[in-house]
Amino acid sequence: MNTIGLLVIILFILMVFVGGGQGIKAFLGLIINFFVIFILIILINWQFNPYVVTAIMGTIILAVAIYLGADNADVADTAFKTSVIVVAILMLLSIVIQYFGQFQGFANENSEELEGLSLTVGLSFSHIAMIVMVISILGAVSEAAMAIVADLNEVVQRTTDMTSQSLYAHTRIIGGQILGTAINTLFFGVLGANLPLLIWFVRLKYSLAMFVNAKLLMVEVVTMVLGMLGILLSIWLASWFVVRRYVRQQKVGINNERDI
Amino acid sequence: MIALAAVWLFLRHDAFLYQNPVGEITRVKQHTLHHITDEHNNSDIVINQTLTIKLLNRHGNVTVVNQYVASQAMSHQYRIGDQLLLEKIGQHMHILSLKRDMVVGTLIALLVALLLLYNKWRATSWLLLSMLINIGLFAGALILNVHVKNANVLLIFSVLATLFAAASLVLVLGKTLQMAVTLLTTLLTTAMTIAILLISLRLTGNLGVHFETMSYVTQVPATLFMAQTVIGVLGAVMDEAADIVAMLFGVRRERVSVRFIDYWHSGMTVDRDIMGTLINVLFMIFIAETLPMVFLMLRNGNNWAYILDQTMNLGILQTIISGIGIVLAVPVTSALVGWIMSRKVMTP
Repeated sequence: MNTIGLLVIILFILMVFVGGGQGIKAFLGLIINFFVIFILIILINWQFNPYVVTAIMGTIILAVAIYLGADNADVADTAFKTSVIVVAILMLLSIVIQYFGQFQGFANENSEELEGLSLTVGLSFSHIAMIVMVISILGAVSEAAMAIVADLNEVVQRTTDMTSQSLYAHTRIIGGQILGTAINTLFFGVLGANLPLLIWFVRLKYSLAMFVNAKLLMVEVVTMVLGMLGILLSIWLASWFVVRRYVRQQKVGINNERDI
Repeated sequence: MIALAAVWLFLRHDAFLYQNPVGEITRVKQHTLHHITDEHNNSDIVINQTLTIKLLNRHGNVTVVNQYVASQAMSHQYRIGDQLLLEKIGQHMHILSLKRDMVVGTLIALLVALLLLYNKWRATSWLLLSMLINIGLFAGALILNVHVKNANVLLIFSVLATLFAAASLVLVLGKTLQMAVTLLTTLLTTAMTIAILLISLRLTGNLGVHFETMSYVTQVPATLFMAQTVIGVLGAVMDEAADIVAMLFGVRRERVSVRFIDYWHSGMTVDRDIMGTLINVLFMIFIAETLPMVFLMLRNGNNWAYILDQTMNLGILQTIISGIGIVLAVPVTSALVGWIMSRKVMTP
């Protein structure tokens, strides 16, 4: 039996066991997102406007990831609102960065893989570089938003009589911790993914000048930093949304009591 | 803002730090446009540009001819104001790379500035310190791996991963019970995940896994892949374990509970929400990385099955493995926290 097939089955069983119906939904979400990325590839390949395609597909991916991931509608709404705003900001930023840094395409290090492939394919690789940056931050942004909103909601539900100051203190504590670990996740993810490339650079004794300017390495660093910015912004924005809604709900509650 | 501008200005004028010649483009002349069509009917434009470059850490000007293709898959279009890293071979200057340190540096400065704004000086400096320590540890492991003959790659990077986790958790959370619990669950879950991977590979005899498609390989790809997976899984699991533990400690701050089942339920519900999105994080990173190659192969007339096999195979495998780790972390963490908390409240 195929190894990947076996592991997919193990993953599915675990997700159902741990998450129940929620697990099935999350698994479904992953598969849907896989197909959404396929559609994105096909549309870009047909030369549709890359900015429009990325914006639409990015929103769909976020929606699928968040609404099929969360079972609480309030959590999902806030997280989705946050993620869309943050990703929009970061997409603009990535366009600027790509313009100045020219991170597109391949480098000489790839020559072996590129053997026999035509490089004059008439598809703008600078657009593709932008798409790669946006796609890779989608996950990190939605995860951070979900984590902070879910945690704060949990706290709000468990403790009924909380002042908004107390909630605010919670957002700071929980936000700081989620920020730290989420940034570390991304950091490890990128380090792990680039292990072979880094070993290559060390083996071939690249100079420091090439380390800090080489396209292949810098594009990873930029993606990572963009992701970290995304995490930070979404924690910030999401906790602001949660506190604001809580304060408003409390006011409504007080008004209702007066009416009675 | 001022600090940002300062960083940008400095990195734009840091040419004196380089040993290679560095130059700034002062004039660009475009010429000889011609259209070409490759064997797969993709049409593209080839352009030659003559660049006049003012050297910044040497004296004088040089002119370099640069040829690029409009799609810029491997070539670059340079513009006035771009700074280049050059190399002298014989009599001719030749372009080594675009100088990217100012873009990257400014972006990092922006991140640090925003972190400081959000998080106060102390917490941010700890976070950055932990990253620097990790980079240092990583560099050490890399050098060890390159210089020691027949080094056990998996062992080196597993030890590294443990140190990573310990260092970052201590620095982010401090030396608290919370940190100890998070570290314990992280290591436990990572070990379980790798065990599942190894057993599955053994059972199926690596069928359908193409370790040979890995890029930039300088040593045995299979062990390198394991090392990569250990680091990747560890990060994700650590994030998740820290999330649940942080939440459970938050609950405890508000209301001290004795019952194991309370913690178990809270942990399981929060994580049901996060599980899917966390797998998405890694999925997006792994898939996004393969996109340029997918487009290139697609345009070169390859079919989907072949592309999936050649470029996305390991990315998908890594996503699934990490997914298994992420899901496993839920029951492991909830159970461990519940167990420790219920005992901790009872003992005093």
